[in-house]
Amino acid sequence: MTPRTTSTVAGRTRGATKIFGQRDAVVRALDDVSVEFRAGEFTAIMGPSGSGKSTLMHCIAGLDDLTSGTAEIDGIDLSGLKDKDLTELRRGKIGFIFQSFNLVPTLTAEENIRLPLLLGNEDGDEAWIQRVIDTVNLRNRLTHRPSELSGGQQQRVAIGRALASRPHIIFADEPTGNLDSTTGTEILKFMRRAVDELGQTIVMVTHDPVAASYADRIIFLADGKVAGEMVEPDPGKVLDRMKTLGD
Amino acid sequence: MFRIALKNILGHKARLVLTSLAVILGTAFLAGTSVFSATLDRTFDNLFQDVFKNIDGYVRSAEVVEGDFGLQERTRIPIEYVDKVRAVPGVADVSPDIQAFARIIAKDGKPLGSEGNGPPTFGSVAEEFKGALWTIVDGAFPKGANQVALDEASAQNGGYVVGDTVKVVAQAGSRDFTLVGIASYGDVRSPGGATFALFDADTAAEFLGKPGFIDAILVVGDGTRSDTELAGDIDAIFDPTARVETLTGAEITKETQDDIGQALSFFDLLLNTFSAIALGVGSFVIYNVFSISAAQRQRENALLRAIGASRKQISRSMLIESVVVGVVGSLAGLIGGVGISVGLTGLLEALGIDTPNSGLVVPSSTVVTTLVVGVLVTVASAFLPARRAGRVPPLAAMRATALETTGPGRVRTRSGLGLIGVGLAVVGAVIAGASNSWLGVGILGVFAGTIVLGPVLARPMALFLGRPAAAMRGVTGTMARQNAARNPKRTARTASPVLIGVALVTAVSALATSIKGQINELFTDQFKGDYAISTTILGFGGLSPSLADDINTIDGVSSATGIGTILVKIGDKGRNLTVISPSTFDANYDIGLVGIDAKTLDSNGILLSEKWSRNNDKPVGSTVTVTLADGTERTLTVRGLYTKDDAAVRGWRGVGSRVVSREMFAGANLQSFDFGIYVSVSEGADRAKVRAALQAVLDDQGQGKLLSKTEYIDEQAGEVNQLLGLIYGLLSLSVIIAVVGIIITLLLSVFERQREIGLLRAVGMTKSQVRTTVRWESVITSLLGAVTGIILGIGLGWTIVFALRDQGLTSFQLPAGATVLIMVMSFVVGVAAAVYPGWRATRVDVLDALVIT
Repeated sequence: MTPRTTSTVAGRTRGATKIFGQRDAVVRALDDVSVEFRAGEFTAIMGPSGSGKSTLMHCIAGLDDLTSGTAEIDGIDLSGLKDKDLTELRRGKIGFIFQSFNLVPTLTAEENIRLPLLLGNEDGDEAWIQRVIDTVNLRNRLTHRPSELSGGQQQRVAIGRALASRPHIIFADEPTGNLDSTTGTEILKFMRRAVDELGQTIVMVTHDPVAASYADRIIFLADGKVAGEMVEPDPGKVLDRMKTLGD
Repeated sequence: MFRIALKNILGHKARLVLTSLAVILGTAFLAGTSVFSATLDRTFDNLFQDVFKNIDGYVRSAEVVEGDFGLQERTRIPIEYVDKVRAVPGVADVSPDIQAFARIIAKDGKPLGSEGNGPPTFGSVAEEFKGALWTIVDGAFPKGANQVALDEASAQNGGYVVGDTVKVVAQAGSRDFTLVGIASYGDVRSPGGATFALFDADTAAEFLGKPGFIDAILVVGDGTRSDTELAGDIDAIFDPTARVETLTGAEITKETQDDIGQALSFFDLLLNTFSAIALGVGSFVIYNVFSISAAQRQRENALLRAIGASRKQISRSMLIESVVVGVVGSLAGLIGGVGISVGLTGLLEALGIDTPNSGLVVPSSTVVTTLVVGVLVTVASAFLPARRAGRVPPLAAMRATALETTGPGRVRTRSGLGLIGVGLAVVGAVIAGASNSWLGVGILGVFAGTIVLGPVLARPMALFLGRPAAAMRGVTGTMARQNAARNPKRTARTASPVLIGVALVTAVSALATSIKGQINELFTDQFKGDYAISTTILGFGGLSPSLADDINTIDGVSSATGIGTILVKIGDKGRNLTVISPSTFDANYDIGLVGIDAKTLDSNGILLSEKWSRNNDKPVGSTVTVTLADGTERTLTVRGLYTKDDAAVRGWRGVGSRVVSREMFAGANLQSFDFGIYVSVSEGADRAKVRAALQAVLDDQGQGKLLSKTEYIDEQAGEVNQLLGLIYGLLSLSVIIAVVGIIITLLLSVFERQREIGLLRAVGMTKSQVRTTVRWESVITSLLGAVTGIILGIGLGWTIVFALRDQGLTSFQLPAGATVLIMVMSFVVGVAAAVYPGWRATRVDVLDALVIT
């Protein structure tokens, strides 16, 4: 679990500020946040509720826009992009894993995995997709629909989908939040494998110290500001640190 | 629970608007047609109230022959009666009256008034009279054989001013008159859009009917006795054998109003039928919206159940909601309906039907009916969804997504198939010989069964129809296909209104195609000449019988024969006889006479179709007694039979079941017009020249339309299209409701699938792809209804054609063109219905959709 020292930057923000509401009811969800996510690294963003961790992820993933500052993916400044270009960027360069409701119920597991490619009308790298399917261990579930899969299997399909287009960076928002601890651990292991074996870049938002301890590096947020960083985390250290942030 | 229901309504305004929309559309047509016919009724009532305002008595013959479609011909009375009535004590003034067919030819040579299906064109009497109907606004009353007056509207439309020469066509042919006066009718320029050529009594009698005879005598009393006494006194001067009756002013007003009312009642029935269809289609949409909204509120209702609400309370809350929606929708529908009726009245005015403005009539019965029907239909449509809502288990509140409903049950499959089976069996029994009246039951069974079976069929059919979309459009097509199939009940309910509309349109098209096909065959088979002169005037008036004689004098015409019709009584039933000219008939027309030629038909003979002869037990040599419209009787001997009895298309000018010679009623005091003249060109004659000569005669006379054989056949078949157009127009409302149903369902589905759409947008679906998905789902649903509707419609059409076999409609023809058109249209409709829901789907906020848990 050594971070790669020669890594380049997969995504970053500079002075990211996000303000919700107007006048009297202003909330600074992000306040001058500058972070970097290095390629080939598994980064966790942690913080108590309302710390701005989800907002940070949404803004850097092109789902929401910043009030000021910049967000970049693969050197592309997102603030100048139109909806269509943003959509294409999400489809081609970003993978998503959400906490729940990750899959399209009318499509099979395989169609869900290939969804970004199908939407882009691309064939993708077939060998890669087969490798992804094996990695998430779904070969015998490919023709099933989401309703026929367990929660863990559904999240594995989501990981598969996030990997399928070989994106530049994968964002995971509380991917284990809806799972029991055994299944959650399994999912985290799959994500770890995606980084170690497939060389992917993953940014995970979580408030679970155990989940965060699977990452190479943790960025702590509190009140919309970066409140520190931890490399080679373990659950105990993370928990102690979280306590100081006043959850 | 009432407050919860209210909160529910106010909390979901968009849903309220959508549900109400279906109620509004359904009730608006109902209210609109009701207000329109009430207004029309009142308008005509007022008109005749006005017309007979100063009339105290109305003297006429008691003899009348009544035919189909309210047509009737009353025996005329001698003009000498006028002076006899004038001499009765208590009579202040009298005027002879004639109302007969006459057409005014405009300055540009074209006849005024629309052909056939517009308001009638009259020739009548206008004289100085105390009870005057007509007031001269310019010039003077017509006097003598060369003078005419016109109603104001006709004078203006014809481009005439006093002093001009006006050509008028009537039973006696066409003739030129000098325009001496322009008259108004009460306070309208032209009553009900009809045209009037006005003469003095003698001229009118000679030109429009028979010299010396009139239709009636209008009487004004001097006020010394009541109308009833006056009528009695007038009746007393006539011998009972004269068969004269005198009506009071009130009686003739009432009778005329009732006659119009009866004529309009057919129209009312037509409008009401289509309102009912529209409302039925609308109730499907209402049912669908309530079902979907019940499903979408499942968690909410489960939560209420969990905290202690009873099943009844949940159901009742939804029913209360439906009552509110019903009231709001019906009220809006009522207002919309008044708007529709204003539009219809405007349409009449645009068509040139000038009616005295008596204002819009909104009868209280319309208000009550609209509200009651609207609310009842809404509540009834909401009943099942409300009951289902009450049955939701409290546990459903805990489930994350409880929206996917289970597939259709076995009971549904069985009862659906059962209904279809029973329906088909009944239809089969009719085909095997049972009474036609059972057909309705059979058809209803098949329709009900199909609709019950809808949810079972919807999934496999949607998947099948969605194949091309999936193949062409990749993953968006695949998702559209799956979306259309994912909720079979909903898809079936959405497609059902389309199904009903399309089935009716297809069936009507099939019937029309079959009739047209048969008309085509018939005329190709029977019409032997080269040209036909036709008129679209049917029932009241037609071509002057003298026109055929004039055509026969043209150089290059080998023979021309006119075919017409007269109304007679056989027994006590009014019947039409086909009138031919025996000497010229054989050369131009073949009706399959057995063993004899038409030219041997004498004035005492009649030819019968084999079928009519058989059914009425009138073999060759037996006699048929007919009573003519002037009250005289003729005993006719059956001279021969013919095979080509084209009764099914009797309305389309074929030769009916009974044929007589023109000579039979020569000199009788009655009306008879030709509906067609068939012309053969001499061998070796220059056809172009003959055609030009024919046209010149028609132009000169201002009547008839010259057509080649093929043009004529096409025109005869084309007349069916007019009727078809009317029915399509009336069905279009149902189609609109069906489309609105698709829009509403798609909107609700989009709302329900917000998270899914958000997810798809997040992982890279473009807005245009979102729209594509919605569009194809809509198209698949629409096609699903159309395909099923076409299959049912063809079956229905075939059944109707079969039921009409006794009327002579023998061959069923597939409406291929219409079917293709319907498929294309339903595709277009699918695309159009998806525009707004598709746009709404692209407005789904990705973050909002993902954040909801």
